[in-house]
Amino acid sequence: MNRSNSDDRSVLLVNAYLDGELDPANALGIAQQMAEEPALAAEAERIKALQQLIHERLPRQGAPGGLRGRIEEAVGGSRRRRAGPSWRALAASIAVTAMVTSSSTWLVVGSRQPTMIADTLVSDHIRSLMAPEPVDVVSSDRHTVKPWFNGRIANSPRVVDLAKEDFPLVGGRVDVVGRTPVSTLVYRRAKHLISLTAVPAESRFALDRNPRNIDGYNVLQWIDHGVSYWAISDIAPKELEEFAQLFRTSQTEL
Amino acid sequence: MQLFASRAHGSMDGLDDNARFRRIVMPHIDEAYRLAHWLTGNRADAEDVVQDASLRAFRAIQAFAGGSARAWLLSIVRNTAYTWLRKNRSNTVVTVEDLEAVEVAQAEPSDSHGETPETALIAKLDAEQLSAAIAALPAPFRETLVLRDIEGLDYREIAEATEVPIGTVMSRLARARRRLIATIRKNG
Repeated sequence: MNRSNSDDRSVLLVNAYLDGELDPANALGIAQQMAEEPALAAEAERIKALQQLIHERLPRQGAPGGLRGRIEEAVGGSRRRRAGPSWRALAASIAVTAMVTSSSTWLVVGSRQPTMIADTLVSDHIRSLMAPEPVDVVSSDRHTVKPWFNGRIANSPRVVDLAKEDFPLVGGRVDVVGRTPVSTLVYRRAKHLISLTAVPAESRFALDRNPRNIDGYNVLQWIDHGVSYWAISDIAPKELEEFAQLFRTSQTEL
Repeated sequence: MQLFASRAHGSMDGLDDNARFRRIVMPHIDEAYRLAHWLTGNRADAEDVVQDASLRAFRAIQAFAGGSARAWLLSIVRNTAYTWLRKNRSNTVVTVEDLEAVEVAQAEPSDSHGETPETALIAKLDAEQLSAAIAALPAPFRETLVLRDIEGLDYREIAEATEVPIGTVMSRLARARRRLIATIRKNG
């Protein structure tokens, strides 16, 4: 039997209705449709029976005794292996100082001092190079990287495929500028990594020197569609500009 | 002064990594274990996966950007489980790349429009048969159904945990339930 797209849609809506995921208008619409179409009402009955059955037959069992203890032990052990004062502890104390001296939100601070954002992002880039993984999600597939950001930050970034241009995607991570989590994509050129951070709403100010060199890293900043992009890498400024150009003009977007 | 300031904001709640871990991860170990069990199919592997995933979560604890801690942990568990399955049972795992192909390629069971509801038949199934039917679902359908109908996550959390858009969650869930009902009917 060939079902039309609108039938498929109705079935999805019936499921969402039973799961309490519909807004009142859609819920009302699908409830009326079920009242008029016996097949749809039957589908709803079967789903309810299935949910009831799962609920009755498959009680949720807890994790086996001892698992929590082993996890806490493993985590504690992993912490102890870090020799000396960890950067996190150091970071915490510095962050407190930073918070005390800056009373306003990052947007105000950031828009007044774009170089501060650059400094922060260069630090993130350097730290990522020292971490076991420079990214939190490892994938060369932009279809994997983009959804990973859903729920972690407010807006998923633009992710393009530049593998053919010799800038393969390595993955992504969440960095924090001020108090705002932002998306950072990591691309690669030969053995060099490029961190590309998208800072929304930070569109009014630009670096006075662009690209700019900070502690040996080149920082290139540009603005597209109200999003401020910051590319950081130790590749040559010319190559970084080539990367930016390719990113901005690429059509292979999600 | 700026060098360490950015990621350290995770520490602004005054908690160190261990305290954050106890607050964010430890409350959800049961869910983590059940998901790992459904994905790997046995208890010992599930424990290994959860332990490994917990360590990964600990190392990434500063990257947790708020939102659903449960969904965040379960996404790590899920990725750990699939990595583990690829390494240890490469023949049984459905890779991310295969997921969409699975959805397109496998014909949907008949939805029996016009038939009377067979709720009585569904209700006859025992726990073992039901578990087996769920275990037989392809991984993308199984994880979505488990997260919704056993763990009770909402669609948004499932989208986060399985790293797909909500529309995909909806279609996988509808298909998972339909397949399950079809299997039950066949065995009933």
